[in-house]
Amino acid sequence: MPFERILVAIDGSEGSGRAFAKAIELAKLAGASLTALAIEGPLPAYAATIAEVEEVKREKDVFFGRLAEEARRDAELAGVAVDVVVRAGHAAELISHVAAEGGYDLVVLGHRGHFLRDHLLGSTADRVAEHAPCPVMIVK
Amino acid sequence: MSDLAVAALLAGTILVASTVSVEIGLSVALIELFGGFVVGNAFSLDIPSWLSFVGSFAGIVLTFLAGAEVDVPQFRREWRASLSIGLVSFFAPFAVVALLCYYGLDWSRRQAEIGGLALSTTSLAVVYAVLVETGLNRELVGKRIMAATFVTDICTVAGLTVLFVKPTVWIVPFAAASVGLIVALPRLSPWFFSRYGDRVIEPEIKLVFALLFLLMWLGGRAHSQAALPAFVLGLVMSGHYVQHRTEQERMRVVAFAFLTPFFFLKGGMNVSASALWANLGVLGLLFAGKMVPKLGGVFPLGRRFTAPHGTFTTLLMSTGLTFGTITSLYGLNAGIIDHTQFSLLVSVVVLSAIVPIAIAQRFFQPRVAVA
Repeated sequence: MPFERILVAIDGSEGSGRAFAKAIELAKLAGASLTALAIEGPLPAYAATIAEVEEVKREKDVFFGRLAEEARRDAELAGVAVDVVVRAGHAAELISHVAAEGGYDLVVLGHRGHFLRDHLLGSTADRVAEHAPCPVMIVK
Repeated sequence: MSDLAVAALLAGTILVASTVSVEIGLSVALIELFGGFVVGNAFSLDIPSWLSFVGSFAGIVLTFLAGAEVDVPQFRREWRASLSIGLVSFFAPFAVVALLCYYGLDWSRRQAEIGGLALSTTSLAVVYAVLVETGLNRELVGKRIMAATFVTDICTVAGLTVLFVKPTVWIVPFAAASVGLIVALPRLSPWFFSRYGDRVIEPEIKLVFALLFLLMWLGGRAHSQAALPAFVLGLVMSGHYVQHRTEQERMRVVAFAFLTPFFFLKGGMNVSASALWANLGVLGLLFAGKMVPKLGGVFPLGRRFTAPHGTFTTLLMSTGLTFGTITSLYGLNAGIIDHTQFSLLVSVVVLSAIVPIAIAQRFFQPRVAVA
């Protein structure tokens, strides 16, 4: 099979949910290993106080901790083992970087994430498609 | 415009700023500054006295909170390696900007000192956010950068308190009260907070506010500024707040819901668009006056103490926001600098929050380790 290591990006949005379901399907078909990269998104830029940063970080940790748990449960129900990695940072950059460093041969992600920035500046998917070192599947 | 009309307009601006901040992931302080700038210039508003008063108090509360946010045990471990970076990060831009303002821009000595102080700062919060995002906050390099930032900050607040003192008899009670409170509060607080704390009427917050008002009043009588004692008071309380996170959270809620928005709005409202437009060259000069000595001074030390992230460290140490704004507003309120000088300094402070971080993240961002 062409795909042995699949990386799927999740952020709690509807689009990423569909991408995750598709990645599970693919991993099962191909017998590939599956890693879910939960991207917390950037912390408040140019903060004036540490409190502002800490609060957002704490909220994100709780939200993405829960998301990681759900991803593990859903994968387990489908009979696929998934490794979930939670990271803070800019989505496009992080996905491309992790895909390169981890030697993945397919990246799966949703068409649109849940950050307003995705809607204003063009989708993360476009940028990952441009910069990722391997094939990218964009799920609509 | 009546006081209530101004209050309603500003409250609406604060609300919009906080929602925009959540939606686009940008610091609320920066948006409040920008909101103040837009509202102030669009409506040609004068700063009402109540806003000036609340804003000044908010500046001191912010300084106290900044002290309380310092990780003292970490600083104790790393201060030797970070001392040189922190000192150079303060003194190099302070000297260059002060000399530039005094000799190059024909500012008075006190105006030049305000300029030097405002542009010598490093933003602890901006640095912290980037370190957390990169994961460097857990590594030695990140800890050293945070400790160095603290050294720079304490130099700024010390300069703000000491440089503008006019020796009067009020120096004695101001110094005595500062030292007394710094010694007494950490000892008094466990008893006071356990007896009166954890109530909706918040006696523990009222205690801190009462002490800060006392320091502000004594500082004013001494022709000084309460920044240093407020910062150190926060610092000596940081250990207490680590153990009592809820108290710190409540203090932050009160500060960020009501006080600090007015501080940043007031800062923005005092920035004149026409003054900036007429002095774009000076703006560029001042920006270079901050960045060049920061970059030139910190880089060799960054290469030595925070390798392999020397350039990244240097750019982070070149940021500024809160203390730069506090210093500029102090200079304006005390009648040391005029509106044009204030507009220029705050604009350079905001630019220095954005430009070095944008460059650091675009070109020098350390690679995130893959788990």
